[in-house]
Amino acid sequence: MSGDDPTTLRGEELVFSYPTGDGPVVDGESITAEAGAVTALVGPNGSGKSTLLEGLADQLPSDSGSVLLDGRAVQSYDEKELARTMGLLSQESTAPDSISVEELVFHGRYPHRGFFEGTTTEDERAVDRAIELAGCGQIRDREVGSLSGGQRQLAWIAMVLAQDTDVLLLDEPTTFLDLHHQLEVIEIVETLREESDVTVVVVLHDIEQAARLADKVVALDDGVVRARGQPDAVVTEELLAEVFQVDATVESTPRGPRIEPLRARHAGDETADRGHSGGERDRLDEPATHTGGD
Amino acid sequence: MGAETSSNPPGWRERLSGRVDGSLLALCVGSLAVVVGGGLVQVSFGAFSMTVAEAWRAVFDPNVLFDIDAWEAFLLGGTVPEMDERSLIVWNIRLPRVFVAGFVGTNLAVSGAIFQAVTRNELASPFVLGVSSGAGLSVLLTLVVFSGLTTFLPVVASVGGAAAFLLVYAIAWQNGTSPVRLVLAGVIVGTVFSSLQTALFFFADDIAVVQSAIAWTTGSLTGTDWEQVRMALPWTVVTTSLALVGARQLNVLLLGEQTASSLGMSVERVRFALSGVAVLAAAASIAVAGIVGFVGLIVPHVVRNVVGSDYRKLVVGCVFAGPALMVAADVGARLALSPVQIPVGIVTGLIGGPYFLYLMRRQEQVGEI
Repeated sequence: MSGDDPTTLRGEELVFSYPTGDGPVVDGESITAEAGAVTALVGPNGSGKSTLLEGLADQLPSDSGSVLLDGRAVQSYDEKELARTMGLLSQESTAPDSISVEELVFHGRYPHRGFFEGTTTEDERAVDRAIELAGCGQIRDREVGSLSGGQRQLAWIAMVLAQDTDVLLLDEPTTFLDLHHQLEVIEIVETLREESDVTVVVVLHDIEQAARLADKVVALDDGVVRARGQPDAVVTEELLAEVFQVDATVESTPRGPRIEPLRARHAGDETADRGHSGGERDRLDEPATHTGGD
Repeated sequence: MGAETSSNPPGWRERLSGRVDGSLLALCVGSLAVVVGGGLVQVSFGAFSMTVAEAWRAVFDPNVLFDIDAWEAFLLGGTVPEMDERSLIVWNIRLPRVFVAGFVGTNLAVSGAIFQAVTRNELASPFVLGVSSGAGLSVLLTLVVFSGLTTFLPVVASVGGAAAFLLVYAIAWQNGTSPVRLVLAGVIVGTVFSSLQTALFFFADDIAVVQSAIAWTTGSLTGTDWEQVRMALPWTVVTTSLALVGARQLNVLLLGEQTASSLGMSVERVRFALSGVAVLAAAASIAVAGIVGFVGLIVPHVVRNVVGSDYRKLVVGCVFAGPALMVAADVGARLALSPVQIPVGIVTGLIGGPYFLYLMRRQEQVGEI
């Protein structure tokens, strides 16, 4: 969108932890979002992928390591300057019910406006562009409170797009959406990948989606990067078994890898056969018979 | 809403201003009518009774209205020039009370509106961050312990309120604040301070001191005159202007901390600055009228129901609707049990309770903005 050269986002040796947690959530990981490409972060719940994304967005102070945007540490950016370069769609998005989609999208122009400045024609153009790209033209004048979850997500995406940034970070943009709106979101990101220089980092729950959408996939588990690279190379049966604890078959298709999940793996599966895991189940039953006697 | 069916949809600017003209304008005109009507009742009735026509004549007495000396005396202090008895009573006793009610209403409504955005809670009031308990405690301390400071009571009350707010902020701060932590800290400080305040009542040896303390802690406009106008007017102008300027920041703050921050707002700084404006407004109203409850809670709520939660409109609506409620409530406080005047805070409480009952019955979700 803006800027001539696509922008690279790099995180180096990043360590993040929450004040209430015991250990670091992300422990010394480096990640590069290639300029103009889509990088997908995947991993099971609690693997630290959202934390890493928030950290890259400079929304979470790092214990150590650095985030470089266009070769410059993000901390050296002025707050609004950073917001003009890098946008974040967070999961925690709440808006008052009574504002219209258009008003919400106009908030995306916040970093482009001075304290006393009104909106300019440039702002209006950016808002129009964002609304069109996000496919929100139909709901432009609707109140946010009257929208379905999927429509609301599109409105939020339009707001982030109106920010007109070189880098876009999306935190689980498709989670909780129906199939139609998931595809809408996916198509927006595909459009960004094909028609613009925007560098996208997206956290996704759905590995298939990630593989289809991304130029590069990074798989996280327990705050550690377990694999990274081309979708075909990363999304494998071994990775699904190790990182996601599922037995699945992965089939290579022209539209990317197709995953057929078979069963969830349980602790001890790696070394044990089925008979053994049956024995384990017996052991688990024991306390139940004890308490039953009370 | 249904008017937008023309084949050629107007640009967003027209649509936006069209909406402003509609509900907000109606609200402002309606509020002005209430203020004027309430004001008329206030200047007409009382111990010295006159007819409505006489009262109007006194209000528009050209000898006062166009007398620079008189305005100088009203707004800058000094001796009021000679005028006839009716004009004197209307201009020197009854009208200033209406003006003070208006300023208090504006300040409390704007203050409440800001705090509701800062805490992202529709049930927040100007006093949610400890301002009222700080002011109340310092009033009691002054009246009971440091009675030498009684002449400075308005200042002491405001300073006490502001100090309590800073204490709340200090308690809530832990690598930054959050709406929930701020509200909890407000409850902590409020609980302790109100206990101390109640304890101090036991040491008041004089019924007059107790009555004075009650008037301060429930809010009263009895005996207000131009001195209170002079005290409240500049602060009202300052805080209202700052609130109007900060309206867009408040709108962005409503999107949640993380979104606001990723849009490039320094959330902590903006939140503290806006809270400061709200405390200033609350302190200004406390200085002239004591702690008037419910106005700062209800008015933003009513306005939001009419104009929506866009703070550019909400603040403007509060500037008009706040005085309307306050002036109307003061009519009740001054005239309902005449000749006895009751604290206006009692009347606002009597209006506020049923209003929330009505809301609770009508709306499923009360609380979230």
